[in-house]
Amino acid sequence: MQDLSPATLLVLVPLLPLVGAIFTVLLGRVLGGRAHLPAMAGIAGAAAVAILLLAATARDVSPAHGPRAEPIRPVEMIATLWNWASFDDAYAPPPGSPAAAVRSVADAAAQGRTAGDVRGFSIPVALRLDPLTATMLTIITCVGLLVAIYSTGYMHGDPGYPRFFALVAMFVFSMSMLVAASNFLLVYVFWEAVGACSYLLIGFWFTKPEAARAAKKAFLVNRVGDFGLAIAVFLLWMTYGTLDFHDTISPQGVIMPGILGQTRLADAAGYAGGAVGTAICLLLLLAACGKSAQLPLHVWLPDAMEGPTPASALIHAATMVTAGIYLVARCAPLFAACPGALTAVSIVGATTALVAALIGTVQNDLKRVLAYSTISQLGYMFASLGTGTLLGFTAAIFHLLTHACFKALLFLGAGSVMHSMGGVIDMRRFGGLRRVMPVTAATFLVGALALAGVAPFAGFFSKDEILAALHAKGWPSAHDSHHAVVAAAEGPLRLAAFATDTGARDAVGLDALDRPETWRLLFWMSLATAGLTAFYTFRAVFMTFTGPTRVPSGAHGHGEHGHESYESPAPMTLPLIVLAVASAAVGWLLFATNWLSHFLSATPSLTAPAVASTAVPHAFHLDLAIQGTLAAAIGIVVAAIGHLGRRSDGPQMERFLGPLQTLFANKFYFDQIYAALVVRPLEALALVAALVDRHVIDGAVDAIARIPVAAGGIIRRSQSGLMQRYALAGVMGVLTIVVLLAWQLRG
Amino acid sequence: MNSPQSLAMLQNALTVGAILFSLGLVGILTRRNLIVMFLAAEMMLQGISVSLVAWSRHHGDWGGHVLVIFVLTVAACEAAVALVFVLQAFSRTGRLDAAAWQSLREATVGRTVDRGLPAADAAPPPFPTLTQAGVLPAPNEDEPLQREHV
Repeated sequence: MQDLSPATLLVLVPLLPLVGAIFTVLLGRVLGGRAHLPAMAGIAGAAAVAILLLAATARDVSPAHGPRAEPIRPVEMIATLWNWASFDDAYAPPPGSPAAAVRSVADAAAQGRTAGDVRGFSIPVALRLDPLTATMLTIITCVGLLVAIYSTGYMHGDPGYPRFFALVAMFVFSMSMLVAASNFLLVYVFWEAVGACSYLLIGFWFTKPEAARAAKKAFLVNRVGDFGLAIAVFLLWMTYGTLDFHDTISPQGVIMPGILGQTRLADAAGYAGGAVGTAICLLLLLAACGKSAQLPLHVWLPDAMEGPTPASALIHAATMVTAGIYLVARCAPLFAACPGALTAVSIVGATTALVAALIGTVQNDLKRVLAYSTISQLGYMFASLGTGTLLGFTAAIFHLLTHACFKALLFLGAGSVMHSMGGVIDMRRFGGLRRVMPVTAATFLVGALALAGVAPFAGFFSKDEILAALHAKGWPSAHDSHHAVVAAAEGPLRLAAFATDTGARDAVGLDALDRPETWRLLFWMSLATAGLTAFYTFRAVFMTFTGPTRVPSGAHGHGEHGHESYESPAPMTLPLIVLAVASAAVGWLLFATNWLSHFLSATPSLTAPAVASTAVPHAFHLDLAIQGTLAAAIGIVVAAIGHLGRRSDGPQMERFLGPLQTLFANKFYFDQIYAALVVRPLEALALVAALVDRHVIDGAVDAIARIPVAAGGIIRRSQSGLMQRYALAGVMGVLTIVVLLAWQLRG
Repeated sequence: MNSPQSLAMLQNALTVGAILFSLGLVGILTRRNLIVMFLAAEMMLQGISVSLVAWSRHHGDWGGHVLVIFVLTVAACEAAVALVFVLQAFSRTGRLDAAAWQSLREATVGRTVDRGLPAADAAPPPFPTLTQAGVLPAPNEDEPLQREHV
């Protein structure tokens, strides 16, 4: 295979799962219980290729030795497959827009007119490979593979077995395309495609009314976010005159700067700030909020737990919900030009983290606890992205990676519990399961420790980096020693960025939020969330796995009576063990070597001067680590006081929280508020529309239809069935004609 | 004698034709017996045929004659077909009354009921009887009832 170039490999990553999905659909009936084979082969192939690509990309990133010996070179590779759409002379930029500002000398010389006068509209189907994409692809395909293996045990015997694997493979395809696409329109297409897969998997058991409702809710809530993305894409086109991420070369040999291309990245004034820039960023944030279940669009994710647990683990915990994180990280330079929008990202993230964690503390459904935990952890990532610093962006992706490991582990563990307990997931109905499900209990504990942020498990390191990023914004002076080093190296660049920030651009009202006080508040909120996270995680662990052993009546174990084992079969425990090892090791490995941060900083988007200039030396923040660990310890201790060794159906939480319990248990009344503000008015409108349709529009049509009926009714009376009358009518007619003819011929 | 081509001959023949046609027309419009209606239609046909022959003679060519022969042929065929229909209709309803088929009217239109039937129709007059000869035929119970109103 001589043409196994990175471009070919990159195309293989989405292609293999797609082929797998198609074969699963076509051969599903024939294969029956072996229907997972094509899908799993496709995903496994994609995972292998993704790891190869990760290694290939890592080779291209300049080594990190020396105190920033050389500025990090952006690494990207574009594979253009074909041109989807192409129109000439589609765009003329308004004067003064960044599209008009960025122009190459070659352009002006070749054209004999100012560049950016008029340009075509073209949508190349181009895939890109850069550190961010390689990281995302690896996460998606590897977690996808583990979930597929797990599902062969979990979904065994389900009548929709082939359909499930076809959808999972389809999802892996869509998600890989989403993170590999190098064009905003393609991103939009696959943004919708993953939403469709999510919808189909939430509603997998569509005969169950709750599942069908949850699927519909997820789809509709996501529409709000998708609307934001659509408007953002329109605005990007209007502002930048292209939708490509990368630079392209026009047929005339002119470089067309892409939105995230290196031409524009190198230009300090390449990105729109002010009202338009902020609007784009806020709309992108809205899109991210929808897909990543952030306030105020988080309401769909807890309900999405009606889907099969492996789908929840893959889509609603590890991968699809991180699409919003990916989008914001990918658009880092756009956000960096709008400090107000960045602050909004953090505010949304930290608020969501806190609110979701509070709701999570009182949930009794194991999967719901994990769902709120997912929302909360995604909030963490958004809070981190919003700092706008290189540390913030890399920390968010770092947390995304560790979260994918431990949250997939926790979800698959919850699925293992649910599988063994005969479909029961209410934590009050079982307890003390560590004796009957040792592997699940041990791996779940590892996942819980990672989620709670206990050293040295994965979550500890990524959470520490996020807290450090927030802390640096809240207390800039405390970090000045780091900044001095960087300022010396990149002083002129920073000055240029600063000048453009303050001078050339209009300040937006939102920018006023970007103050240290705001960031301090966000930091304390995140720290409080860390404590709450540890609390609800260990509350779930203690309720499920400690105390007197109880199993619901529907569960059926195996082994001798009195010593029954409820442990799940090997295809389910194997992924648990793999993920547990990853959750335990990956954080420490990546943090100690700083490999991921360095690798990600070669992503073109993160080499924008406004982002790259905020780089700080890699450091372990002992003070923050102590604070974070303290918060986690408090949470675990409180959970232990309430639940360790007790029956899980006790009223401890109600007594402990009092009236707040009602507030949290009702999820801050979000569903009720939306029902009153959106759902009911829309239902009323739909009712009015239905009535108008039925009675006014249909009524008009029916009225017109009644005219011939009425006219016929008059003539119908002559149809007596008596031949003589018919003959008489004929004779009268002939006589009339004869008389008329005679009248004519008379003259 | 008037020559065959004279106007007087034409007028006479046309008058006869018109009378035949009108009689047939009146017959069709007033009689309900299917066979009589059919006879009336034939009479109209013959009225037309007489007119054709008259005109043909008046003009001294054969066109009208040829057409009349053709009409006769068609009328013979038509008679065969029509009588089959009449027989079938009779065997279905047991009556030759065209009004027996008025159920083919529009569903919303009411049934037409005969009023003021002649008293003779209500009770058939005694038919003259001949002296019996030969063997008395076995009486058919249904037949008199069926033929009652013919």
